[in-house]
Amino acid sequence: MKKHILIVDDEAAIRNLLAEYLTRSGYRVTAANSPIEAQQAVEQDPPLLVISDLQLADSDGLDMIDQLKTTLPNTPMMLLTGVLFDPKVVREVLSKKVSCYLQKTTPLSQVLGEVKRLIGPP
Amino acid sequence: MTSQPKPTAARDKTVGRMLGVFLLISAVVIAVAVTSVRNINRSVASSDWVNHTHAVMLEVNSVFSSLQAANVAALTFVATGDGRTQAAGREAFSDLAEHLEVAKALTRQEPLQHEQIVHLEALANRRADFDRGVLGRPPPERPEAARALAAPDASAEAMDEIQRAVAKLTDQEMALLAERDRASFLQAQTTRWTVWSGVALDILLLGGAAWLIRDDIAARRLAAATLEEANNQLETKVRERTAELAAANEGLTTENLERRWVNQALEHQLRYDQLIISSISDMVLVVTKALNISRINPAVVRLTGREAQELIHRPVSAIARLTERAGGAEALLLDPLAQALAEGHDLREQAAMLEDKLGRKIPVRLALFPLRDRDKVVGGVVILQVIPQVPPPAP
Repeated sequence: MKKHILIVDDEAAIRNLLAEYLTRSGYRVTAANSPIEAQQAVEQDPPLLVISDLQLADSDGLDMIDQLKTTLPNTPMMLLTGVLFDPKVVREVLSKKVSCYLQKTTPLSQVLGEVKRLIGPP
Repeated sequence: MTSQPKPTAARDKTVGRMLGVFLLISAVVIAVAVTSVRNINRSVASSDWVNHTHAVMLEVNSVFSSLQAANVAALTFVATGDGRTQAAGREAFSDLAEHLEVAKALTRQEPLQHEQIVHLEALANRRADFDRGVLGRPPPERPEAARALAAPDASAEAMDEIQRAVAKLTDQEMALLAERDRASFLQAQTTRWTVWSGVALDILLLGGAAWLIRDDIAARRLAAATLEEANNQLETKVRERTAELAAANEGLTTENLERRWVNQALEHQLRYDQLIISSISDMVLVVTKALNISRINPAVVRLTGREAQELIHRPVSAIARLTERAGGAEALLLDPLAQALAEGHDLREQAAMLEDKLGRKIPVRLALFPLRDRDKVVGGVVILQVIPQVPPPAP
């Protein structure tokens, strides 16, 4: 059984590209474009990892992550956003909420490396 | 790379050789069969001839025997006058005639023998006529009469002549038999040699055919092994090449995804940055180090009434000028902006006057922030904030 990853991003191009790459890498991927879809996906098929954008159309990515943690307390959460944070902010704020923070300009191979670090190979 | 013989050509050559060998074997078998049958036919003919010859000899001897029997009967009749000897004589005559007829019939196809038989017949009939005459008379009562009756008989000489004729004929037949026997032996020997030679030759040819078959099988096995090895090598190369192509394709796909990802991320970042600038309701102008406008946000267009193409690459003083703090009169005081950029420090809360497209003057607060790229000032960001006009207090 392939490991399941949930991607949440309101930008279809970003969402589809990341889903395609992770699927080619051997993972099973579910893509959601809003926190509501993400919640439904989690209830139907709990993932081993959640990758989310910060600024979503309907909500805040960090708020959504807080909500998902009530259902998936031990599931690692990855924040993948175009918002550039100061390293101090990342260290002192984001690291308490998410397992990993990556900028969207990060190469996909590096994203995959972080995925493998968090949940292992597919 | 070694050149291998073409399997089809080798197979055709082998088939041709095999066909040739089997044709030879068939020819030898047919030749042996024909020769053997011919010799068998000759043997059968010789056997018939031998039987025929024996029959002739038997008949000739039977003629002599019948003649002797008739002679004995005649002499017995003369000596004893016994009437039963007449019957024996008649039976002997009958046998004699029958044997002579058979002998003539047997030798009808052979003129020389037939002539001898005819001669023998003449001698035998002459002798038989004498005996028949003796037996046909009344029996003599006195010995003198009997001797008189037998006196004309030159039986001893006549019988000797007949016996010599029979012996001559028999000797000739025996000589012919010996000759035929030698011929028959030679035929048998020839047949034996022919059969054994044919068998030996066929065995040799079969051995050759077996050698050709073995050679062909070995060649086919070698060709099959070579073909299999070539196929294996080809399959290995195809697998390797396919794996290389698949890896290259995978690499290209991944590279393509990475490129699309980078482009998408940059586009997202640019759009996000543009969104931030556009969302500011104050006028934001990016200027070069020479204080020419290079970029504006929508608020500039909205508040000045000028389109971007009218402002880009124009000096910032075309729309805004610092005012003297003390006098309040407008004055061309751009030097502080140039000086701030040159020194790389900010200007804040500077009073300035904006002039819109219709020439209306709007008081604004001006701020300038140097744009640094790797610690080098390459331009600046000018922010113009409209000062809300406080209506004069009601009198």
